[in-house]
Amino acid sequence: MTREHAISLIVHTRDSEATLPRLLDGTRWAAERIVVDMQSRDKTVEIANAAGCRVMFTAVVDAVDPIRNQYLAEASHEWILVLDSDEYLAADAHEALQQLIREHGANADAFAIPRFNSIAGHVMRGSGFYPDHQVRLFRRGTVAWQPGHHRLPKVLTGRQRLRQLEPPHCVHIHHENYPDIASFIAKQVRYALTDDYDPDPEKFDFGIYLAEAHAEFARRHEPSQDGELSTAVATVLAWDRIMRGLIHWERLGRRQSLNAAFSLPISIAAAPGKRSRPGTPLRNVPREIGRWIRREMLGRRN
Amino acid sequence: MELTAVISSYGQPALLRTCLIMLERALARAELRSTAIVVMDNGTLIPYRPAELGVADARIVRFDNRHPFSVACNRGAREIPAARYLFLNNDVFLHPEALLEMLDVMRDHEAGIVGARLVLPDDTIQHCGVRFDGGERGPYHQDHGKPSAIVTRVTSFPQAVTGAAMVIDHAVFTALGGFDEVFPFGYEDADLCLRARQLGVRIACAQGWDSLHLESFSDRRPDRHQASRRLFLERWRGRYAIDGDENG
Repeated sequence: MTREHAISLIVHTRDSEATLPRLLDGTRWAAERIVVDMQSRDKTVEIANAAGCRVMFTAVVDAVDPIRNQYLAEASHEWILVLDSDEYLAADAHEALQQLIREHGANADAFAIPRFNSIAGHVMRGSGFYPDHQVRLFRRGTVAWQPGHHRLPKVLTGRQRLRQLEPPHCVHIHHENYPDIASFIAKQVRYALTDDYDPDPEKFDFGIYLAEAHAEFARRHEPSQDGELSTAVATVLAWDRIMRGLIHWERLGRRQSLNAAFSLPISIAAAPGKRSRPGTPLRNVPREIGRWIRREMLGRRN
Repeated sequence: MELTAVISSYGQPALLRTCLIMLERALARAELRSTAIVVMDNGTLIPYRPAELGVADARIVRFDNRHPFSVACNRGAREIPAARYLFLNNDVFLHPEALLEMLDVMRDHEAGIVGARLVLPDDTIQHCGVRFDGGERGPYHQDHGKPSAIVTRVTSFPQAVTGAAMVIDHAVFTALGGFDEVFPFGYEDADLCLRARQLGVRIACAQGWDSLHLESFSDRRPDRHQASRRLFLERWRGRYAIDGDENG
C-alpha cells in the first residue's frame, strides 16, 4: 500500500464567497486547510468554517504575495499547497499530486504547476497565459515569495530542486481570472496603483516603460491562439506599463521628462537565449521582459 | 434526482455539444421530474467551458489526466446521485424518443439495465445487444453491420448491452460498485452486465428507435481494446452462456 503524503492547503481570501466553494469542494482530501481571510464582507468566513477549515484573520493588504510567507509557517505538514481563492483543482488532482510527491519528492522541494487562465469565459491558449507555471506545491520551508504583485516565489534550496511539470497531461491549476475585460482592466489598475515603485529617481526612465509596453504587446498578441481576445488582453497589458510609468513618475514628484512618449527608444530583436521567428521578433520574449529591458537600458546608459 | 446523465468526453467539443442537444431533447420527451447532466471532461487539452457546450445546467467535472471510461463514469455518477443513471458516449446522438422508450422498457420488464439500439451513419446496426460466442470471438455486437430496416424491433434481453448508451438503476449500480476500474478501455460494460446477471438483474435492449453512434469517433487506435479484452476473457471465458451463431 502506498503512503499518503499529508498536504496542508493555504488559501488567502477577500470577499471570495463566489469562488471559494468550488476550491474547497475539490480539496476535501487535504490533511489541513488554512484560510487566511482579509476582512471579508461577505460569507467567505462562514463558508470556510462550514467546510472545516482553520480560519485566520489578517489586515487588508494591497498585495497578498508579501504576506504569504508569514502564513506558510502555520502549515503543520511537510508539503504545502497554495491556491488563490479564484483557483481550483481538477477532480483527479489529489491522486496526481500524491504521485508527484511519491515519484519526485526525494529530488525536488517544489513543483511548478501549469495553470489554465480564463478570461471573459475563454480559456487562454497562448498570449503569455499558458502554460503559466506556478510554484504552488512545495516542501515546508523551501519557498519564499518576493515583494510586489505576482512575482514568482523563490525556491530557497536552489532552482535544481524545482521540478516543472510539462503539460498537457499533468495536474493543472484552474484559474477563473476575469469574467470580462472590464474587470481585467479594473484589476490591472488596482495592481498598478498599489504596487511598489523604485524611489531612486536615477532609476526612472519613462522610455523604459514605453519599451516594456511594446514588448508586452508583442509577447501577448497571439491571435492564432486566442483571437480578438488576445488583442484586447495585449492592449490592456501594454497600457498597464504606460500607466505604471505615469504612476511612478508622479510618485517621484513629476520631475522627469515624459518626452519619451513620442518615440520608442530602443528596438529589441529577441531576448537573450530565445530564438526569434521572422515577422514576430518579440514573440519569444520571456515573462521577465520588464526586468530584462530595465537591465538592458540602464546598462547601456551606465 | 430521478435521472443523472453521465457523459465521459475527451476533446471534440462540437461533437459533445451536438450530443448534449440531442440528449436534452430526449430528456424533455421523457418528462422526468428532475434530471441532471454531468460531463466528465476526461483530460481534454483545453478544458470545456459551459458556454461552448450550449447546455447551461450541465455540470462539468474536470480531470486533468485521461482516465479509463470506467473511472470517469463512476466519478460522474458520484457527482450527482440519482435513482437511475444514463451513461452516454459523446459520439451518440440519442433519438428524441429513445430515452423514454428505455425507461418504459426498464419499468415494464423490471430490467435493471437497459441499452439502446444504435446505428451507424449508413443506417446499419452498430448495437442492438451483445452476444457471446464460445470461441475466440467472445462478446460481439449482434447484427452489427446489417441494415436497421431488416433487424427486428422487438425488445430483446441480451446478456449485455453497450455502455455507449445505457440506463442503469441506482441500486444495481451501487450493488455492483459501478464499472470495474481495472478495465483500461472497453469491456467494462459487458463485465458490468455479466456481474449484474449474477445478482439476478434483468438486462434489456430497447429496439423501437435508432440513435446515431459515430462509433469510436474520439479514439480510433486499432489496439485500443486489446488490454481490456484480455482482462475480460481471463475473467469470464467459460462463465457466460453461449449465444451461438446469430446466423445459424
